[in-house]
Amino acid sequence: MSGVRQIARRRLLGDGLTLFGALALGCLLFLGLFGPWLPLGDPLRIAAGPRLGAPSAQFLFGTDELGRDFLPRVVQGIRSTFLLSAIAVAITAVIGTLLGLAAGYLGRHTDQMIARGADILFAFPALVAGLLVAAVMGPGQASAITVISIATLPLFIRVVRSVTLGVAGRGFVTAAEVAGASTLRVMLVHLLPNVMGAVMVQLTYALSIGMIIESALSFLGLGVQPPDASLGSLLRQGSAYLTIAPWMVLTSGAVLSLAIMSVNLVGDAVRDALEPLKGRPLT
Amino acid sequence: MTARAQEPLVDIADLVIGYDTGTRQVRALDGASLQVFDDETLAIVGESGSGKTTLGMAAGRLLPPEAQLLGGRINVSGVDVTSADDAALRRLRHDRLGFVFQNPTAALDPTMRIGRQVALAMGGRPGPEAIAELLSRAELNEPQRIMRAFPHELSGGMAQRVVIAMAIARQPHLLIADEPTASLDASIREKVMATLGRLRAESGASLVILSHDLRLIARHADRVAVMYGGRIVELGPVVQVMQAPAHPYTNALLAAAAGNEAPGERLRPIPGTPPVLEARCEACAYAPRCALRQPRCEAERPEARRLAGREVVCHRAEAVIGAEQPTRQEAR
Amino acid sequence: MRLIAYLLPRILAALITLFGVSVLVFLSLRLLPGGYADILLGPFVTPEARALIAQRYGLDQPLVVQYMRWVWAMLGGDFGVSMVTQRPVIAELLRRAPVTLQLALIALTLALVVGYPLGVLSGVRAASRRRKRDFGRVVGAMGASVPDFVLGSVLIFVFSVWSLWFRVGGYVPFGTDPVGNLRTMLLPGLTLSVFGVALILRTTRDTVLRVMTEPHITAAVARGATPGAIIRCHILRNAAIPVVTVVATYFGFLLGGAVIVEVLFSVPGVGLYIFNGLLNRDYAIVQGGVLLAAVVFITINMLADVLYALIDPRVGAAR
Repeated sequence: MSGVRQIARRRLLGDGLTLFGALALGCLLFLGLFGPWLPLGDPLRIAAGPRLGAPSAQFLFGTDELGRDFLPRVVQGIRSTFLLSAIAVAITAVIGTLLGLAAGYLGRHTDQMIARGADILFAFPALVAGLLVAAVMGPGQASAITVISIATLPLFIRVVRSVTLGVAGRGFVTAAEVAGASTLRVMLVHLLPNVMGAVMVQLTYALSIGMIIESALSFLGLGVQPPDASLGSLLRQGSAYLTIAPWMVLTSGAVLSLAIMSVNLVGDAVRDALEPLKGRPLT
Repeated sequence: MTARAQEPLVDIADLVIGYDTGTRQVRALDGASLQVFDDETLAIVGESGSGKTTLGMAAGRLLPPEAQLLGGRINVSGVDVTSADDAALRRLRHDRLGFVFQNPTAALDPTMRIGRQVALAMGGRPGPEAIAELLSRAELNEPQRIMRAFPHELSGGMAQRVVIAMAIARQPHLLIADEPTASLDASIREKVMATLGRLRAESGASLVILSHDLRLIARHADRVAVMYGGRIVELGPVVQVMQAPAHPYTNALLAAAAGNEAPGERLRPIPGTPPVLEARCEACAYAPRCALRQPRCEAERPEARRLAGREVVCHRAEAVIGAEQPTRQEAR
Repeated sequence: MRLIAYLLPRILAALITLFGVSVLVFLSLRLLPGGYADILLGPFVTPEARALIAQRYGLDQPLVVQYMRWVWAMLGGDFGVSMVTQRPVIAELLRRAPVTLQLALIALTLALVVGYPLGVLSGVRAASRRRKRDFGRVVGAMGASVPDFVLGSVLIFVFSVWSLWFRVGGYVPFGTDPVGNLRTMLLPGLTLSVFGVALILRTTRDTVLRVMTEPHITAAVARGATPGAIIRCHILRNAAIPVVTVVATYFGFLLGGAVIVEVLFSVPGVGLYIFNGLLNRDYAIVQGGVLLAAVVFITINMLADVLYALIDPRVGAAR
C-alpha cells in the first residue's frame, strides 16, 4: 500500500513541471471558486481608479477604460471560464461515455449510428461550428456550452468506444452475460469501471479544449457577454487598447494560458500514471 | 565430457540481474554461470520465468533499461559486455553476434520490404543476387518473390527463415536463438531447427538455443543447460543429461514433456510454480516443489559440483541419479 | 485491389458523414423560430418579399422536398446570395479561399518542419533515458496551452511597438507583391502554427515511444545498427503513419477554422468572411461557409486515409 502511494507520489509529483501545474491549478481553482468572497475589490465598480491606469501597488493588474480594477475582473474571468467549460465538459463526458459504451458494447447498427454521429460532429471545426451556433442561438453562455459539447463529444465517444470494444470480449463480461445480467447492468456495472481511466484522461484534455473554445468565443464576442467577464472577453476588451494599455491583454492572456497549461500538465501526469512508459535505448 | 583447453567464446560468471518493477526488485538471475565454446550447440532449457531469456539477452546487453546488473561478469569473444562502451558493444553485436527471436514477424520492420531489410542486415550495398543467395541458404524458395514481399505477407516459418538469414548475414561467431520455433506450426518446427543447425555447422559458429522444450532441443544440441530460479541447475552433454538426469527438475521437465512416454502413461505436469526471488536465494530454489527434499535443501544454498560427467546444483543429486526415475515412482 | 477494398468503406462513410453534416446545417437554419425567411431577410420584411423567398426556396413544401432542392442547388454551385452585397456566396468564398489556403500552408509547413523532428528527437531521448519529462514535454505543454488569439495579440503588441519588418493588416496577394504578402502573412501563419507544433510534436513523440518498444527495433539494435541508422531506416517511417492522420485533422482545422487569427490579423480569408457574415446577419454566408469548411475537412481526412494506405503496407491486408 505504501508502495502504491509512493508510485503515485513519484509519478504525479515527481517532477517540477507537474508540481507547478498542480499548484497553479489549485490556486486558480481557489480564486475561481472563492473569488467573489475574497477582499479583492468589486469587479463591476466603475471609476475605482484612473481610466486605463497602469499596474501599481494599489491596482496590481491596472485598471480598464472605465476605471474598473482589473484584478477582480480577471478573477471573475477565471471563475466563468472554468465554470462554463467544466459544466459543458461534465455534461458532455456523461453523454459521451454512455454513447461510447453503447456503441462499443451493442455493436452493429447502434455502433454504426453513433460512430457516424461522432464523425459528423467532428467534421465541424470548433470555431466554425461556433459561428453557426451563434447564428442559430445567438451569442451567450448557452452557445458556448453547445459549441464545447459539439467539439468534445466525439473525443469521449471515440475513446470510450475503443476501450469498450477491447474489454467487451473478456471473460468477466461474458460471465456476467451468461449469468443473466441485463444489457444496462453489464454496461454500467462491468464495463463502466474499465473505461473510467480513459475517461479521466479525456476529461482533462476536453477541459483544456473547452477553455480554449470558451475564451475564443468570448474573444470574438460570441460567448460571455458584458458586464460579465470571462478571460476571453477581457482579452477582447483589452485588445481595443492594446497599444496604450497592454496590461489588460498581457495579464488576462497570461492567466488564461496559465490556466490551460495547468490543466494540460495535470492531464499529462494522469495519463503517465495510467500508462507507464516503456522503451529502450538504441544502444 | 571432453576437457576443453581452449578459451571459451562466452564466459558468464556468477551473473546476478534484477528487474526494477517500481515497487520492488525481482531477481531474474541469481548467480548464473555458463561457458560456451567454439563450434558447439548449447541448449538452455527452463520454464518461462526461469531466467533463460534474461541470460541470453544479457550476452548482447539487450536487456530493457529496468534490468540492473547486480553482480558477476559477462565476457563474449574477448569483450567485457558489462563494462564495454556503446561503440564497442555495437561492434561486438555487428561483427560477432546474431540473434533470432521468438516472434519472427514482429522482429521484422512491418513497413519495409524483405529485400531491403536483409540488405541492411548484410551491410554495405549488396546486389540483389547476393541477397537472393543468402535467402536461398536459409532454404527459402523463390527468394526473388520474398525480397519483394512485406513481412505480413510471409508465413511464420518463412519469416523465421528470413530472420535466420539476417542473423547469419555477417558470419557471426555466436548465434543466440530465443525460442526460435515456439511461435511456429508444429509441423515446421523441426525443419526450421534443422536449417538453423545446418547453417551453424557450415559456418563453424556456436549456437545457443533458449527453449522450454527439452525434447525438441535435445536432437539438435551438443550440450544442455537446465535453468531454474535464475541459476543453471544442471549442465552437461545432452546424452548424459537426458539418459540419467542428476537434478530433480530435469527429471520433472522430461516427465512433463511429450515424446517418449509409454502407451497409457500420463504426462506429468510439474506441481507448483517457479519462484519469484527478491534477494539471493539461501536455499535450494527448487526445494518447495521437490519430492526428494530434505531439511538441508531448505537451509543451505547448493553450489555447483561435478557428478557423472556434468555439473549439477543439487544436494540430492546422487539420490536422483541413483534412483530409477524416483520422482515418477514417488508421485504414484 | 487491396487499396480499393480498404478505401471503399471509407469513401462510403465520408459520404454518409457529408450527408449528416448537410442535414444538420440545413435543419439548424430552417427550424429556427421566425423561420428561414426571417433569417434571410430580417424581421422587418414585407409580405411580398416573404412570399418571394418562400417561393424561391420552396418554404411551403415539406421539409424533405426543401432539403432536396437545397442540396440540388448547392451541388449546382448555388450557395445563395449575400444579402449585403447581392453577390453569389460561392463566388465570394472561392475568391477568398486562396488566402486561407496560403495561411494554412504556411502554418502547416512551420508546424511540420519544427514539430516532427523535435517529436522524433524528444521521443528517442525519452525512451532512451526512460524519462517522460524532457524538452519535448515542456514545448508540447506550452504550445498546446497558449491560445492563438493570446499569442496573436501579444505578437501584434510587440510588432506594433517595434515594427521590424512585419505588418499587421494590409493584405496583398502573393502574385502582386510576394514580399509585401509575406510581410502580412508570416505573423498570422506563425501564430496558427504554434498549436500545430505542439500537436505534431506530441503525437510524433508518443508514436516514437511506442515504435521503440516494438521487437523489430530491438532486433535492429541486436544487429549492431547505429542509433542514427535505426532512426533513419526504421523509426521515421513507422512513426510517420499515425502522424499523417493528425496532420490531416490539423490541416482541415486550418482550412476551415482559422477564423480567429484571420479576424485578429485582418487577413481577408474565408474565416473572416464568415465571421463578418455573422455580424451582418448575412446567414447565407454562414451557411455556405460552414458547409464548405466541413466538406473540406471531410475531404482532407479522406485523402489522409489514402496516404495512410500508401505508407503502411499492412493496411487492408488483415481483412
